[in-house]
Amino acid sequence: MSGQVTVFVIYFLVVFALGWVSLRRTRSEEDYWLAGGNLGWVLGGATIAATHTSAGTFIGTIGVMYTAGWSFGWLILSIPLAYWFMAAVLAPRFTKVKELTLPAFMEARYYSKSVRGLSAVIILIATVVYIQAQIVAGGLIASTVFGIPTRTGMVGFTLILLVYTVLGGMMAVVYTDFLQLVVMTVGVAVAIPLAVRHVGGVDELFTLVEAVNPLTFTWESMPATLLFTMGMAFMLGSVSSPAQLIRLYAMKDMRTIRRGILLAILLITSINLMVFVLSLVAVVLFPALPTGDLAMPMLARTVLPPFLGGIMLAAITSAMMSTVDSLLIVAGSALSFDIYQNLVDPGVSPSRRRIIDRLGIVIVGVVPVLLLLGGVGEGELVQFIVLLFTALMASSFFIPVVLGVYWRRATREGAAAAMIGGVTMTFAWEFFGSEAIDPVLPGFLLSAALMIVVSLLTPPPPAHATAPYFPAT
Amino acid sequence: MWEAGFIFWGLFLVFGVIVVAYVTWMIWVER
Repeated sequence: MSGQVTVFVIYFLVVFALGWVSLRRTRSEEDYWLAGGNLGWVLGGATIAATHTSAGTFIGTIGVMYTAGWSFGWLILSIPLAYWFMAAVLAPRFTKVKELTLPAFMEARYYSKSVRGLSAVIILIATVVYIQAQIVAGGLIASTVFGIPTRTGMVGFTLILLVYTVLGGMMAVVYTDFLQLVVMTVGVAVAIPLAVRHVGGVDELFTLVEAVNPLTFTWESMPATLLFTMGMAFMLGSVSSPAQLIRLYAMKDMRTIRRGILLAILLITSINLMVFVLSLVAVVLFPALPTGDLAMPMLARTVLPPFLGGIMLAAITSAMMSTVDSLLIVAGSALSFDIYQNLVDPGVSPSRRRIIDRLGIVIVGVVPVLLLLGGVGEGELVQFIVLLFTALMASSFFIPVVLGVYWRRATREGAAAAMIGGVTMTFAWEFFGSEAIDPVLPGFLLSAALMIVVSLLTPPPPAHATAPYFPAT
Repeated sequence: MWEAGFIFWGLFLVFGVIVVAYVTWMIWVER
């Protein structure tokens, strides 16, 4: 056990050091929220990949693999396609004007402070829930590694995350994302040969998996409609995630974005494929776990030698932290920059802005923990929450962002209707709709319909709002 | 067994095809 603790202590010390270096290098608000807006493709691609790969990838996937089998793995192909869409279609127009946040883009394109406020509120609420799910995963790991109660672990992780994110802002997030990505990749790459050898080789693994669940390598384990609509949720959600959209602003230029996204595609898909193989091993070794969420920590403890097990657990922790720190930036900027400094108190002085920026992050980090300690939202399957979050982002932001830069006629009323309608429908479907269809499909369709109908019924947008994003006619 | 093999290895194969297509597109855009 001491080997694992050593790995974690070293890891946390490096993370804090990166936070400190970033604090020294952060001078402007653009530095704080966008890491200066001048990232190269290696750091840019790595931060996209690290942010995408969450605790859901490591903790939640296995739960789904238990029931859905390998056909679930095919969903992963929607991710490279989504990022390709981002690089080829969205980014060239979206990055013509560099804003600091997604709600700032919404105000500029939809000439309305209300639309900005609305998108900031949606981001805030959805993000708090998502951060909760990730922190629960962190608590599980902490109790496995340090033998402390899950709740203490959740509080501890949140404190660590807040220290470096509040100190160094986006720059600290980008640097730590790079470190966390390396740890993740090394963690799974080292674990795979050991885990496969543990069950007696590849052929033996397949035979054992089919003995536990004969449907694993068939298309029958999951309804085709669900598979297809979940793939759609992954795809639309990846494109419209505010954390990823601001990374387009953070990178230097289009050439950098294309290379960065290629790197991100390679990393995200490879890590996922490796985790899928590890989950097959977990299915064989622990066929009857109470919750799939425990499988990966169990694998790290039983199959791997202590030191490597420590790296594997640090990998899961990295996945969690690199996603939560990015969301803290997104939610913190929505609260302090978009809501407070632009809507509540626009005349705030520059020195106070620096404090308010940091205070926003502290608030969005502390609230999820308080909710968890109060018993709200604990014990949910991590992957379920990840999917709901993805569906919410897809149904509220995809249409306003993409049509915003491709359809000149899209109006502020249309955008507001699209966001409200999309969110409402997603929630309604989640709780009352058919389980065979992911809520993203109805949410997305309603959002698109409302955008088109309401925009056509309202006066066209002023030229100053659309001009920056469209070629002159 | 043929189907099972495809469901497993086909995923890796299709991913490879997507990556090659992306790189080709990138080179084409920047030519």
